[in-house]
Amino acid sequence: MASSDVVQYRSPARRLVEILTVVFLAVYLVWTVLPLFIMFVSSFKDLLEAFKLPPTGDWAGAWVFFDFTPTVQHYVDLFADNNFGTYLANSIIASLGSALISVVFGAMAAYSLSRIEFRGKRDLFFWIISTRMAPVVAVMVPLYAIFRGAGLVGTLPGLILAYTTFNLPFAIWILKGFFDNVPYAIEEAAMCDGCTRFQAFREILPLVAPGIGAFLVLCVLFAWNDFLFASIIGSGGAKTLPVATKELVQPQNIQWGKIMAAGVVTTAPMMFLGLLIRRYLVTGLTMGAVRE
Amino acid sequence: MASVKLSNVWKMYGQTEAVRDLNLTCADGEFLCVLGPSGCGKSSTLRMLAGLEHISAGDIYFGDKRVNDLPPKDRDIAMVFENYALYPHKTVYENIANSLRLRRMDKALIDQKVKKAAAMLEIEPLLDRRPAELSGGQKQRTAIGRAIVREPQLFLFDEPIAHLDAKLRAHMRGELKIMQRDLGTTMIYVTHDQLEALSMADHVAVMHEGVLQQFGTPHEIYSQPVNEWVAGFIGEPPMNFVDCEMVEEGGSLCLTHPHFTQVLTEAQAAIVRAKDPAGQRQVRLGVRPDEIAVLAEALDEGIKARVLVTEPLGGDMLVDLALGDSKLLAKTKPDFAGQRGDECSLTFDRNRWHVFDRASGLAYF
Ligand SMILES: Nc1ncnc2c1ncn2[C@@H]1O[C@H](COP(=O)(O)OP(=O)(O)OP(=O)(O)O)[C@@H](O)[C@H]1O
Ligand SMILES: [Mg+2]
Repeated sequence: MASSDVVQYRSPARRLVEILTVVFLAVYLVWTVLPLFIMFVSSFKDLLEAFKLPPTGDWAGAWVFFDFTPTVQHYVDLFADNNFGTYLANSIIASLGSALISVVFGAMAAYSLSRIEFRGKRDLFFWIISTRMAPVVAVMVPLYAIFRGAGLVGTLPGLILAYTTFNLPFAIWILKGFFDNVPYAIEEAAMCDGCTRFQAFREILPLVAPGIGAFLVLCVLFAWNDFLFASIIGSGGAKTLPVATKELVQPQNIQWGKIMAAGVVTTAPMMFLGLLIRRYLVTGLTMGAVRE
Repeated sequence: MASVKLSNVWKMYGQTEAVRDLNLTCADGEFLCVLGPSGCGKSSTLRMLAGLEHISAGDIYFGDKRVNDLPPKDRDIAMVFENYALYPHKTVYENIANSLRLRRMDKALIDQKVKKAAAMLEIEPLLDRRPAELSGGQKQRTAIGRAIVREPQLFLFDEPIAHLDAKLRAHMRGELKIMQRDLGTTMIYVTHDQLEALSMADHVAVMHEGVLQQFGTPHEIYSQPVNEWVAGFIGEPPMNFVDCEMVEEGGSLCLTHPHFTQVLTEAQAAIVRAKDPAGQRQVRLGVRPDEIAVLAEALDEGIKARVLVTEPLGGDMLVDLALGDSKLLAKTKPDFAGQRGDECSLTFDRNRWHVFDRASGLAYF
């Protein structure tokens, strides 16, 4: 097989493109990483140090940014005074719970849609994905009314249900593609080996595992970063990290230190998760296209 | 172990009739080949036997038990698929062991059985590989291994060696036949390769367009084809067909053709007269290439033909001949001296030729 390297030929234009690429990447890196960096560093400063300005506005003043005595007071306050332990738990339960439910039901529905022919299948499938076509805000009010009627507002199960409402169609849609790529003959072989239909389904799950894994992460991210549902459906008993952070902004007192610390607490787990499963995520999302 | 019986089985895919009114029996411990060209309904038949496909009409019995409504896992069959269908994420060992593990068999026993099957198929060094790291032949042997560890009551093999090279195929034919004899398990084996069918099977079922054409021993299929289609399908190189008239001449039946007149044997004439006593008949003469003797010189008593081309095959020589408008293929020895354009003379082996009704295609003998 030919190697997958792209053959490149030297030319002045090529050289220019290379330089521009590096410049672009450098700017982009600063653009994306700097805010996170400032947030991270500031969360360890007290308020006075955080707002200290250099006497003159030249580049030499930048060192002032690093001139501080580190303190973990904001983190201690967050967890001791502001109940962030509970909110962190709420975030984890809501996002993981909805991701798991979406993937379990999504995988089963996607499997059926992939394997079984029945009348109206195309319409059903379109109906499922069409639920994702309306913007979330458009359905928020009726959803709130329904949830309130059912006593689900302000509860974790309510929040999980709300996320699942939006994750499940997406799960079905994506996972169906993964199941379509697994030859049916493998399940037939499993059934001849002595599996029931359901055992045969379980038998091929490892083959769609990258897809399921990748999708699980997408679901977690969606719920973790969500603000709208959390502030409306979850308000009251099921406050999550983004909502709790928002509440640190009070009219007479914006608690910058705590906000920075809350930002770190919210971002760090997802960044860590992203690093952990980076390779998995990439293979997962491309696998559907590559397998024969 | 079980015998298998299909009675009036139909398979329809929408409007497509893949299998039409199929009746077949396979005795306990027998090796039955289902032979036919691509698309004749062989796989459909096998898949109905396995329970992977609904039976549109008719009944299938294993022994005395009607199995129409049994799922595959309750039929105690082991199938080798046309495309192997190995588990891509499992090693060869796990592929073979899977069915035993599902039966919660003892680990040590599983290990013993897998090793034994692997030894038989000569895939022991490959047990830790995954299917993606195997050659076609190795995949196929893994697929067979997966079937034979089970010791089921019925083997269903769907063209398991079709994708192998000629040499390995010849080797596997022998191996499979020995294996089936050793295990004594009933086997239904689908193939489009007549050599496989004739060399391995106890009985052959020849199918064409969803219809069973002939059921018999390999010898019967070869030497007494029931119709023109079977006669033309079986045998390599294929049988020659020449349109003739059959007429009564001086108390015996003769085949007449612009270039020859041949007399049927007494026994053959009796069969024809008994089957349909009408006078003049439009028939087709079928002679296999090796039932034609060719002489390079034009003798008076032989049938005269012209050599079109000769094809030396090492131990044999194929000679393409022109007999008026029709072409014939004859198989002779490599010392045949005729050249392109030469006149030569032929004799047909009267005892082994076949005569078919031209309209219906059915064989007189
Ligand atoms: N799932 C299906 N839907 C519609 N038609 C089908 C289906 N499967 C098979 N057929 C048709 O049924 C007929 C028989 O197919 P089958 O697979 O049994 O052939 P086969 O004898 O196994 O051929 P091959 O030697 O190529 O494997 C064919 O005409 C085929 O087009
Ligand atoms: Mg087939």
